[in-house]
Amino acid sequence: MANDFSLRSGTEHGHRTSTRDLSRKWDYARLRRGVFGTAAFLVVWWVAASTQPTYLLPSPLEVGGALWGELASGALFVHLGQSLLHYLPGVALGVTAGGALGIAMGWWGRLDDVLTPVVRVLRPIPPLAWIVFAIIWFGLGHTGAAFIVFIGAFWITFYNAYSGVENSSRELLEVATNLGIDSEYRLIRRVVIPDATPELLTGIRTSVGQCWMMVVAAELFGAPGVGYEIITSANNLAMERSVAYMLAISAVFLASDWGVRRLEARLLRWQP
Amino acid sequence: MTDTVSSPAPTVAVEGVHKRYETTDGAGTTALADVSFTIDPGEFVTVVGPSGCGKTTLARLVGGFESPTSGRVLVDETPVTSPAPDRAMVFQAYHLFPWLSVQENVAFGLVEQGVAEDVRNERVEAMLELVGLSDRASAYPAELSGGMKQRVGLARALAVDPGLLLMDEPFGSVDSQTRRRLQRELLDIWRTVEKTVVFVTHDIQEAVLMSDRVLVLTGTPGRVRDDVTVELPRPRDRTDDAFIGYVDTLFDLVETTI
Ligand SMILES: Nc1ncnc2c1ncn2[C@@H]1O[C@H](COP(=O)(O)OP(=O)(O)OP(=O)(O)O)[C@@H](O)[C@H]1O
Ligand SMILES: [Mg+2]
Repeated sequence: MANDFSLRSGTEHGHRTSTRDLSRKWDYARLRRGVFGTAAFLVVWWVAASTQPTYLLPSPLEVGGALWGELASGALFVHLGQSLLHYLPGVALGVTAGGALGIAMGWWGRLDDVLTPVVRVLRPIPPLAWIVFAIIWFGLGHTGAAFIVFIGAFWITFYNAYSGVENSSRELLEVATNLGIDSEYRLIRRVVIPDATPELLTGIRTSVGQCWMMVVAAELFGAPGVGYEIITSANNLAMERSVAYMLAISAVFLASDWGVRRLEARLLRWQP
Repeated sequence: MTDTVSSPAPTVAVEGVHKRYETTDGAGTTALADVSFTIDPGEFVTVVGPSGCGKTTLARLVGGFESPTSGRVLVDETPVTSPAPDRAMVFQAYHLFPWLSVQENVAFGLVEQGVAEDVRNERVEAMLELVGLSDRASAYPAELSGGMKQRVGLARALAVDPGLLLMDEPFGSVDSQTRRRLQRELLDIWRTVEKTVVFVTHDIQEAVLMSDRVLVLTGTPGRVRDDVTVELPRPRDRTDDAFIGYVDTLFDLVETTI
């Protein structure tokens, strides 16, 4: 039995991290391998950096120092706060609006017919391409960056919500009417949305992750925040500071992704 | 508010019903051809016949899940146009809401009909007790066996206390002991609260045990081959000669059916 388990733990983990893996107890063998991988990476980085000047490739130690400095002075938190100021409203509004439109279009065929051509044309446009309008309409402050994030979250969630609703189970809709639901509102609330929740949550999780990329991209154009610090530090050849802020993005990405996965595991505990 | 949402037992009239399904290959299948029969209020009618003869289709037509290609389905003289809770159905494939727990599934219809919470909880508990799932009340469907799921589907349909109960092989997946208990319970319910029942089964013995009448359908397209009235006093005894006589007759009818 024990042998069987260790065999499986070797293959099953792979690169896949499902929501269920979070609840798994610590697997020390796996942890050891992870620590080894990280250490090896740091060594390679360090050796490579020692052959190059800092402005080409800062060493782990220099990056650590820069990170500590930004943490100690509180600058890191200020800039993270600025980024959050675009990120949070952008994601929240984008997810809400995209989810609502996706559900509406997935449910009402007529609306789908009317809007599909427009959606087909607009959806492939990368959010960052809207930066020109963001700048003209809102200027490159918080609103402009939030607008870019909004567009990103909007389409990601829209797409997932739409396909979730489109694939909702006809049988369960039948059962619901059989048990007395006679309004579309109740049907959407009691069957359509719960049935599409896995897809909706995938949309939200993808948005939450992707929007960190978009926030940074928008800030590279000049909106204040972590992305702005990455580019200005680099312009001053303070590469160790750039990398420190890159790591900060990593950290907030991981934290928010973890949060959404927790939410997912909770809301989808009914799944086998 | 009354203590349940009970509706009176209706008559059912199926008049010259044809049902044709369009299929992906374009050929189409005629599931039912010229099916006619009537069911009196409070009557327990069983439908038997070989697989694919249109039993599920017939139950779905009466439930309002499908509309006939031609002909009419009337419940209490009114044409059936859509599903409604006074015609609750127990599905062959269960169709439980996977995101709701067992008790939430059973409560679904009561919630939608605005039954007060305390009445509702009591009724859900009683239904779970009836189908022997009180201890799994907070489990999710994915955690249940096929037979358990089937019993949840049964409890969910019984909870709304429909005047017409449509049951598509409701005991097909439960073990034989549970099956016998559920047969007894269903007959008890049917006797105490008058209900019209349309009951689909493959089990001839079950058909004789339960029903006032047995409709025997022939193979594709389904037609009513015979309409057998079971004139046995209740409660019925499976070992009784007359009982066995009915079983044999029906076996022959189903077996010689194409
Ligand atoms: N939605 C559908 N689309 C196309 N054909 C269908 C559909 N539903 C049923 N049929 C066809 O209609 C016929 C009758 O099917 P039905 O499910 O009513 O049979 P049944 O008597 O309930 O069979 P079983 O005993 O196996 O449950 C079959 O030939 C089946 O292939
Ligand atoms: Mg069937």
